[in-house]
Amino acid sequence: MLATVPSATILGVEGRPVTVEVHVGQGLPSFTVVGLPDASCREARDRARAAVLCSGLTWPTRKVTVNLAPSSERKIGSGLDLAIAVAVLAATDQVPAEAVADLACIGELGLDGAVRPVAGTVALVDAVPGSTVVVAAPSAAEARLVGRHRVRAVAHLSELVLALRGEEPWPDPPAPAPPPPEPPPPDLADVRGQPAARQALEIAAAGAHHLLLVGSPGAGKTMLARRLPGLLPPLAPSEALAVTRIHSAAGVPVPGGGVVVRPPFRAPHHSSTTVSLVGGGTAALRPGELSLATGGVLFLDELGEFGPSVVDALRQPLEEGVVRVARARAAVTLPARFLLVAATNPCPCGEATEAGACRCSDAARARYRRRLSGPVLDRFDLRVEVHRPEPAALLATAGGQPSAVVAERVAAARRVAAGRGVRANAEIPADRLDQAAPLAGGATRMLEAALRQGRLTARGLARVRRVARTIADLDGAPPDSALGAEPVALAMTLRADVSSALEAVA
Amino acid sequence: MTAGGAGAGAGPRAVGGALPDRAWWVALAGLPGMGPARLRALREALAPEEAWRVVASGRAHLVPAVAAASGGRAGEVAARWARAAADLDVGERWRAHAHLGVSLLGEPGHPARVADDPEPPVVLFSDGDRGALAGPTVAVVGTRRCTRAGAELAVELGLACARAGVRVVSGLAVGIDAAAHRGALAAGEGAAPPVAVVGTGLDVVYPARSRSLWEAVAASGVVLSEHPLGTGPARWRFPARNRLVAALADAVVVVESPRTGGSMYTVDEALRRDRPVLAVPGPVRSAASSGTNWLLSQGAAVATGPEDVLAALGVAPEPTAGGPVLDPRPPPTGDGRRVLRALGWAPAGLDTLARRTGLGLGPLAVALDRLESDGWVHRDAGQIERRGRP
Repeated sequence: MLATVPSATILGVEGRPVTVEVHVGQGLPSFTVVGLPDASCREARDRARAAVLCSGLTWPTRKVTVNLAPSSERKIGSGLDLAIAVAVLAATDQVPAEAVADLACIGELGLDGAVRPVAGTVALVDAVPGSTVVVAAPSAAEARLVGRHRVRAVAHLSELVLALRGEEPWPDPPAPAPPPPEPPPPDLADVRGQPAARQALEIAAAGAHHLLLVGSPGAGKTMLARRLPGLLPPLAPSEALAVTRIHSAAGVPVPGGGVVVRPPFRAPHHSSTTVSLVGGGTAALRPGELSLATGGVLFLDELGEFGPSVVDALRQPLEEGVVRVARARAAVTLPARFLLVAATNPCPCGEATEAGACRCSDAARARYRRRLSGPVLDRFDLRVEVHRPEPAALLATAGGQPSAVVAERVAAARRVAAGRGVRANAEIPADRLDQAAPLAGGATRMLEAALRQGRLTARGLARVRRVARTIADLDGAPPDSALGAEPVALAMTLRADVSSALEAVA
Repeated sequence: MTAGGAGAGAGPRAVGGALPDRAWWVALAGLPGMGPARLRALREALAPEEAWRVVASGRAHLVPAVAAASGGRAGEVAARWARAAADLDVGERWRAHAHLGVSLLGEPGHPARVADDPEPPVVLFSDGDRGALAGPTVAVVGTRRCTRAGAELAVELGLACARAGVRVVSGLAVGIDAAAHRGALAAGEGAAPPVAVVGTGLDVVYPARSRSLWEAVAASGVVLSEHPLGTGPARWRFPARNRLVAALADAVVVVESPRTGGSMYTVDEALRRDRPVLAVPGPVRSAASSGTNWLLSQGAAVATGPEDVLAALGVAPEPTAGGPVLDPRPPPTGDGRRVLRALGWAPAGLDTLARRTGLGLGPLAVALDRLESDGWVHRDAGQIERRGRP
């Protein structure tokens, strides 16, 4: 008469365990779901009933009550369908009660009894207790990533019932054909000329330094940015699971093998809303683009065209590596630790990098400048102007260094950074700079002059030191060596004050 | 008291007889859409008070000269004038201008150069000393989006001309205009005073960040406008302003300008008045010099420095005391010298310099830092420019 089946619901990127309790008792035939279900969860009633009937089983003509415990938390989505159906079947003795003990169910039901995958399988499976979990066949690979459960993959409710009754063995659906291998990321060898931008790209990849590319249309900003993921080392196993979890929670298809191994590259369009970037929106507080870029690259092309509130929303995640999304009913913390690469024209017409060539009105330039100036601009460690490559460089037969060679240097630099206890040099805390990035005499004098002449600010100083450390690491300098004049000068040069590109020389 | 009864032809009755001619023209000049040509047409056709009455009654388009100056929309324009005139107290408006110099075409006190002009302003407002207008004058004009080298040269021209007793006239825009005036102001006591012509009322500083320069020019020279107080910036007023710059100058020097733009308008106006035009040659690839290079190809005189400008005006340069000034900057050495030589006088990016010098980015960055620290180069965003003076 009473049965319970564990399952889970999702909030942000975290699964929350839910116990589905079903009571079938005396009374007029009815079916009610209590315990704060949302709309799609309430619809489970109709799906579960149809699926049971279509699978050749009987639906009790008595009073059926489903309680989703804990009843104080909102239940979201259709992932509880399967658990509700199984609990009803157990409560009416259509499957043996001992078979469902210690069996968690996650999946959406079709009216014909088909079991369908739901978004966030990794997080959901991670949340359920017990030793066995039943999921839809396409979710099996994601469910196995958690590694704590015996994963049973079923395609249809009737298969599950037959297996639980012991009449048939557990189905062993063939693993879906691995999706075609991802096309390799574009290669840096395609980029002709532009040594400064290439160098900045390499430094950004090695030290996880945020990079801003400013230049005229057609200068190759987007081309350069798209080559960054190819320079980044593959994700470490622990990182890969965390990233997969986010992608799974957002319902983004996960590549072959069920694990995200390549650093993700997210490039939202400049018409994107704040919510789509930060996350939230649905009751499940779905992760946004910032979270999806975790472990990889967030590329904002045409930064000057993004809404001002969208650009401002980047500030806290850039500082803390997480997004805190709070709504009236719930608050979640979503991971958002990404390498920010932005590209922008210096002004709406894009020609202001050259004196006298800009055709924009003063007001249009001022508007653009306001959007690009201030706190966000300050968070870019590398700010590089990209110029249209010289014709000679474009026609040169020899391409630049291929990504593979650069990626090797990047990986070596990251290993050096790991020796300092950080993922990359951009994360060296300020109080450890003196120890991690000591300055040689020449470098100290250079920085002193720059500070005195107002070419460098105190905040900029720390950033310059981190970037200089990365440059030295890429050059193969010993990990604790003092920074010479060269890396420091280059770090300052690659942190150009681009805001003045938008100001007419008065 | 308003001129609300103007429709009946009464005008501002109580003080009507006491107002000077200039008061009526000041009021008329401030009406919406009242450009120099239309005001001149009114002035040629009608007496001052009569002109006001005709305009206030909305019959201005019936004056043939005004209709001709207003094109097909004369009736619409006349109606707008009448609406604006209805709310205007001519006497009060006149008294608001008491602290400014106001001169009227055809009366003594109107500067000779503009009075004899083919398109003279009917009224001219001035803030500062009108005595600044007498004597040789040169217009130094150019683009607002200039290179640093262009701005430096404009400063140099302004300074040398002012020292040699030549008034520098310009438009107080940012860029070359402002640089020329800064140079003229730097010449200090005893030098020729600067002259500015603006396209707004003398109480509307545009662009706002030019305020300090504007005040300095008014204090040591004169700021002129043909628009009454309260006139805001409008696109069509700037070409009109440029015609006055050309009219006031004995010669026009264009320091940097793209092929189109306000400076080219000043050049056209100067040529119409037979004033000599000089242009500063620039790098052939620089958009900021495309206009000046084109002017040179069209026969403009070459200006490579103050000597050329002063020679064109027939003025002897002020002898500089004690020969050439010693450059206080430490001479660049090693890589620095190489970089400076590769840089030349046109702005260049990091990539270009790396290619020209063959230096790696690291050593190049060190050399640039040294050069910048010593004042040899200036870095603006990714662009590196050589500085002529520390």
